[in-house]
Amino acid sequence: MTAGTDTSRGVKETSEALREAVARQFGRSLHIRTLDTGSCAACEQEIRLLAAPHYDLHRLGFFFTPAPRHADLLMATGPMIRAFGPAARKTYEAMPGPKLVVATGACALGGVYQPDAFTHGGIAGTLPVDVWIPGCPPSPLALLQGLLVAVGRLAEKVQDLSFTQNGTPR
Amino acid sequence: MPLWFIRGLRRGVVTTRYPARPDDSAALLPTPPSFRPGALTIAVADRLAQVCPSRALTREGEVLLYDVGACTACGRCRAEVPAAVTDSGQFELAATIRARLIKRIPLADGGRAPGSGAEVSP
Repeated sequence: MTAGTDTSRGVKETSEALREAVARQFGRSLHIRTLDTGSCAACEQEIRLLAAPHYDLHRLGFFFTPAPRHADLLMATGPMIRAFGPAARKTYEAMPGPKLVVATGACALGGVYQPDAFTHGGIAGTLPVDVWIPGCPPSPLALLQGLLVAVGRLAEKVQDLSFTQNGTPR
Repeated sequence: MPLWFIRGLRRGVVTTRYPARPDDSAALLPTPPSFRPGALTIAVADRLAQVCPSRALTREGEVLLYDVGACTACGRCRAEVPAAVTDSGQFELAATIRARLIKRIPLADGGRAPGSGAEVSP
C-alpha cells in the first residue's frame, strides 16, 4: 500500500516535472506547420493574416515552417478527407516530439460535416488533438489566443462562459 | 524633417498589443450567439435547432445543447428568434478539452409563450 502510493507520487512528480519542462520549451520559439485536410481555405486565409503586420505573430516567437521535421505544432484545418488520412498521420509522425496538435475551425472540430464515405467529419479520429479553436473561420485573434493556450501562456476562458445573458438583445 | 512625420511614425503602430492588452476588434466580427434563458421555451429551442445549419443547437429534454465548436456564427438563430438570441461578442474560445465547448442551456417552461418567462428589466 505504502509502496503503491510512493510510486504514484513518484509518477506524479515526474509527470509534473515533464510537463513543466515541455511548457518551458514551448514557451520560447515555436514553429508551426499548417495542414489543410480539405478545408475551404477560409481558415488558411486567417492563418495567413497572423503573419501580417497587424497581428505580427513573430513578435510572440511563433514561426511558420514548411517542414514537419522542423515543426513543434501542427495546425490542422478541414474535416479530414478520408483520402488525406494517411498523409496526415505521416505528417504527424514526421514531427519530432514533444509536439502539439491544434484543431482549427468548425470543420476540424467536427461541426460542419458528418462522417461519410468521403470525410471523417473532423480530425479527432486521425490525430490526437491538444487544443480546439472554434470559429468559421476563427479570427486571427482567436487563433492567437488558441496558440497561446496551446503553449500554456494564456489561460482558457471558454469553460467559464455560459453563452446566456439576461440583458436586452442588442 | 517635419514634426508630424516623426510623430506619425512614432504613433502609427498598427500591430495589436494583444495579449498584453485587450483587443476588442474581433468582437466586431460575427461571434457565437448568446441566449436569454427566460425567452427560451421548448418550442423556441426546436425552432432554433431546426434553423441551425451545422447542428450546433440540439434540444435534449428541457435543455438546449449548444456546441460552440460546431457553431459557425452564421446568425440564423438570431434572425429566427431575435428576442431570445444575441451576439455574445466572445472570440477567446480555445479549449483543451472538447467537452468544454458544449454548453447546456436550461429551457423555460414549455407551456409559456416566448418572452413571457422570467422577464428581465432592460
